[in-house]
Amino acid sequence: MGTTESSIVDSARARPGLLLVVLLGGLLLVDLAAKLAGLSLGPLGGSVSVDRLGSNLWNGVIIGLVVGLAGIGLSMTYSILSFANFSHGDLLSTGAFTGWGVAFLIAGFGDIPVRTLLSVRDAGSASAGDIGAHIVSTPIAILVGLLAAFAITAVVALALDRAFYKPMRDRDGISILIASIGAALIVRYVIQFVYGSDRRGVTASVDASNLAFGPLGLSVNAHELTIVVAAAGLMLAMHFMLQRTKLGTAMRAMADNKDLALVTGIPAERVVTATWIIGGGLAGASGYLYVLLRGTIQFDFGWLLLLLIFAAVILGGIGSVYGAIAGGLVIGIVFTTSTIWIPSDFNEAAAFAVMITMLLLRPEGLFGGVSTA
Amino acid sequence: MSAEEADSTDDADGEAVGVEESAEPVDAAGSADSDDMPADSDDTPAAANAGTRHTLDGDAILRLRGLDAGYGDLQILSDVDLDVADGEYVTIVGPNGAGKSTVMKTVFGLTTYMDGTVEFEGESIHGLAPEQIIREGIGFVPQNDNVFPGLSVRENLEMGAYILDSVPEDQIEEIYDRFPILRERAGQKAGTLSGGQRQMVAMGRALMLDPDLLLLDEPSAGLAPDLVADMFDRIDRINDSGTAVLMVEQNAKEALRRCDRGYVLVNGENRYTDRGEVLLGDEDVRKDFLGG
Repeated sequence: MGTTESSIVDSARARPGLLLVVLLGGLLLVDLAAKLAGLSLGPLGGSVSVDRLGSNLWNGVIIGLVVGLAGIGLSMTYSILSFANFSHGDLLSTGAFTGWGVAFLIAGFGDIPVRTLLSVRDAGSASAGDIGAHIVSTPIAILVGLLAAFAITAVVALALDRAFYKPMRDRDGISILIASIGAALIVRYVIQFVYGSDRRGVTASVDASNLAFGPLGLSVNAHELTIVVAAAGLMLAMHFMLQRTKLGTAMRAMADNKDLALVTGIPAERVVTATWIIGGGLAGASGYLYVLLRGTIQFDFGWLLLLLIFAAVILGGIGSVYGAIAGGLVIGIVFTTSTIWIPSDFNEAAAFAVMITMLLLRPEGLFGGVSTA
Repeated sequence: MSAEEADSTDDADGEAVGVEESAEPVDAAGSADSDDMPADSDDTPAAANAGTRHTLDGDAILRLRGLDAGYGDLQILSDVDLDVADGEYVTIVGPNGAGKSTVMKTVFGLTTYMDGTVEFEGESIHGLAPEQIIREGIGFVPQNDNVFPGLSVRENLEMGAYILDSVPEDQIEEIYDRFPILRERAGQKAGTLSGGQRQMVAMGRALMLDPDLLLLDEPSAGLAPDLVADMFDRIDRINDSGTAVLMVEQNAKEALRRCDRGYVLVNGENRYTDRGEVLLGDEDVRKDFLGG
């Protein structure tokens, strides 16, 4: 017993930060248990219903999946092209607007001018509710919209690469990073120019789309379920592509060692093209799904989300696809459950606090050092 | 190769080898043959003249002439000539910074080309992309970091045949036969292997397209001493099966002992060229570059 105790003390001495985090985490858990039990112990405790915790976790998972899906592309461009792509957030906006334009076109074709539909506006008499885009009432429109978001964003990402990043391929990461901030501004304001700057509702509300799960008291709506299925499906497809196909193996090889990939005969530019198509496409799809979750759309939401995506990717270990997914889930869950303790205005701060703590304790991130994929 | 033999060749060639500035005309290759070549000269692809003739008379699959190359504005190689005949085993030795690795990287188009010619099997390969050079029949094993650590052993081999439409299963089998440990470790990530095993993965990957010429940059670097001889044995066997080898080695004595011909490079220039054992026996070469 003596040896175990001393080894605990030793490791606490060696890593006081870890001790602090463990103590704080323990305190929060005790507090959460007290809250669930409805006990009050001085400053601790209070009351939180199991339902609320359940729905916080569920919402966290959904946001986490969307953020993780967006993070995959960011992580891939980082590991294969060696730069942090600040235009990634605006690819989410690109996917959301173009995808929802297509979804509206299918859902509302005939009744409302095509121009209005494609620009995702509720012009004049036709509100989002009238167009009726919803997974229950117009499932085809929603699914085709998702595919369109993927495809169009992939094309935009590829076009940005050819225009800005390809000519700079041999430059250092900082130069390309700054170029990507410029590209982000261009994309964002083109979106604002085409689609307008007002925030508007997009999804219709349909009764009977809430499915309740009994024992947990969890209420899940059909859109949330769509997001979980779509995001998990895309992640699985991504996993299969990386592990089972020649192209995916080449991507992992390039992420491992670019110089060696070159002398091995892996055609770098073709892998880079595939990276933009997949990474950009997933960003577009996740932007589209984010709007499905929120129900509203706004020209700069992707940019605002980018910081959270970066947090997820860094937390997971930048460069790792699986790290991006895991990091997204952690960030999403922290984002929503932190509202048990702090006002929801600060929940983004809580997500970053977790990220910074993670970096202090394990600088390479959750999946860092395990190499890509 | 025994010490006696080495000494005898030393005696025979002692005068001529290493006298780069000697008055003997470099182009008088034919006449020099009878005097300078050791008894078993018929093994060598062509006559090396007193250590200063850097080219072959016969057909060479790799032919470098007057090569100037470097990195950016920095010139490393100047006027380098080098030949590798079909099936030949050639090694490049020399002090640090002599530009040994630069020769290989230049063949693969990874340096800044300045002047000269790089021909493979009679055609210029200057300006080709690495994937095209591989297609021409050259495999390259760089020094250090020469496996994809996150990929399995088998995936590493598969990447070596990326330019083919389908995975050549028979070639993978052949490489497993050559390096049986790789068959056992097929599913293991290459990053978890020992240094020697990683070197086998790297060589296996470069052999996936059955190249006519294999470039090896410091294959013994980082290996435990007891594995070095084993690695050289494996290289011998690769060469015995018909693949020409061009190798850069820090372990110059062992490399020269095993190769057909050796080039001594100093300051990015040709200094001596001769059969490995002749260089090994030469006093100047030994004193200046082999540590006595």
